Amino acid sequence: MAFKDYYKILAVAEDADSKAIKTAYRKLARKYHPDVSEHKEAEEKFKEVTEAYEVLKDPEKRAQYDEYRKYGGRSSSQQDGSYSDTQFEGDFSDFFSSIFGADAGGAGQGQRQSYGFTSQQSYNQRGNDIETDMPIFLEDTLAESSKTISYQLPHTDANGHISEINRTLNVKIPAGVANGERIRLKGQGGQGIGGGANGDLYLRIRMVPHPLFDVEAHNLIITVSLAPWEAALGATIQVPTLSGKIKLTIPANSQTGQRLRIKGRGLVRKQGHGDLYAVLKVVMPDTTDDQIKELWQQLASSAAFDPREEWSK
Amino acid sequence: MGIQYFSFQELCTVTALPSQTIIEIVDHGIIEPEGTDPETWLFNTQMVSVTRKALRLHNDLEIDWSGIALVISLLEELEEIRHENQQLKAQLNRFIVG
Repeated sequence: MAFKDYYKILAVAEDADSKAIKTAYRKLARKYHPDVSEHKEAEEKFKEVTEAYEVLKDPEKRAQYDEYRKYGGRSSSQQDGSYSDTQFEGDFSDFFSSIFGADAGGAGQGQRQSYGFTSQQSYNQRGNDIETDMPIFLEDTLAESSKTISYQLPHTDANGHISEINRTLNVKIPAGVANGERIRLKGQGGQGIGGGANGDLYLRIRMVPHPLFDVEAHNLIITVSLAPWEAALGATIQVPTLSGKIKLTIPANSQTGQRLRIKGRGLVRKQGHGDLYAVLKVVMPDTTDDQIKELWQQLASSAAFDPREEWSK
Repeated sequence: MGIQYFSFQELCTVTALPSQTIIEIVDHGIIEPEGTDPETWLFNTQMVSVTRKALRLHNDLEIDWSGIALVISLLEELEEIRHENQQLKAQLNRFIVG
């Protein structure tokens, strides 16, 4: 259990007054709030900052902490020796609990919404809702698909001990789900306490990026590479879609960046299908032998084409 | 499966919020249920998650409801722009060699 320097966490001096502490806390809480921050350790940082403030804003707790800190965390008066109640899984750290006791966090504090699997025990309480990411391939959204999901559930036994158990569920994912959508599985969340209803499980749909297709709302985009002569003369080519290959006609004199619409080959939506757009990209061959080079030279001398015409205006 | 809806009473239950708070959140346009009054209101799963987010911001950062309405709409906009930026970058990368 690491010693936590609450002054350092809030970046305030040891003799900072309560106003300075409040300001420092507010600033950091805004910075690291998990709903606002993109910081990858935002949740950890936010908890740490909240814990530090919980102690330093309260003169009594602060004095107790100062005492503990002064003796480098070696004060014996507060240690319960065995340190056996590790089953407590609260918002505050073990370090906090070791000084102030496991029940001190949040007492009299206006209930803070928790982010983890905490539960405030009371009679007949509904179980916690749990949210988990559900990665989905684009191919899976075309029709209803069946997925297996594993998640962890806090489990409270008869003695009030909390542990985590692994749950596995088979889930039907409806056709046409969209990125960020949430699917609710009623009663599959945390168990209710004292006869309370179970919480729910929410699956947050995360679309896995596809190697070939980009997504634009309910449309798909595929980049189609073309040889210069295919772009010039037109061609019929095979294009992959999410459900097999199709034939696509490239008109003569096509350009890089041009979009060809393939109707109804996009993603499934609640109403109808999106489209697939083929975006053309003219590419040059990597190597050119002498014969090919000669052909390019013939082309260069006979084609009256200035690709930089706009510069000479 | 279809779209999953919550009644007003259900939303109060799953968020453990008093009805007055939900009404306040709806009054501020933070969530916009279908239906015209609490008896006919229908909330979707997205609104449940926005309600929870609103509550966390309200409790943790001491922001009032009108401030939260602003924060949440800006966060949504930010998320959309990030998403769009990511898409455009991905598409652009398919055009840039090396």
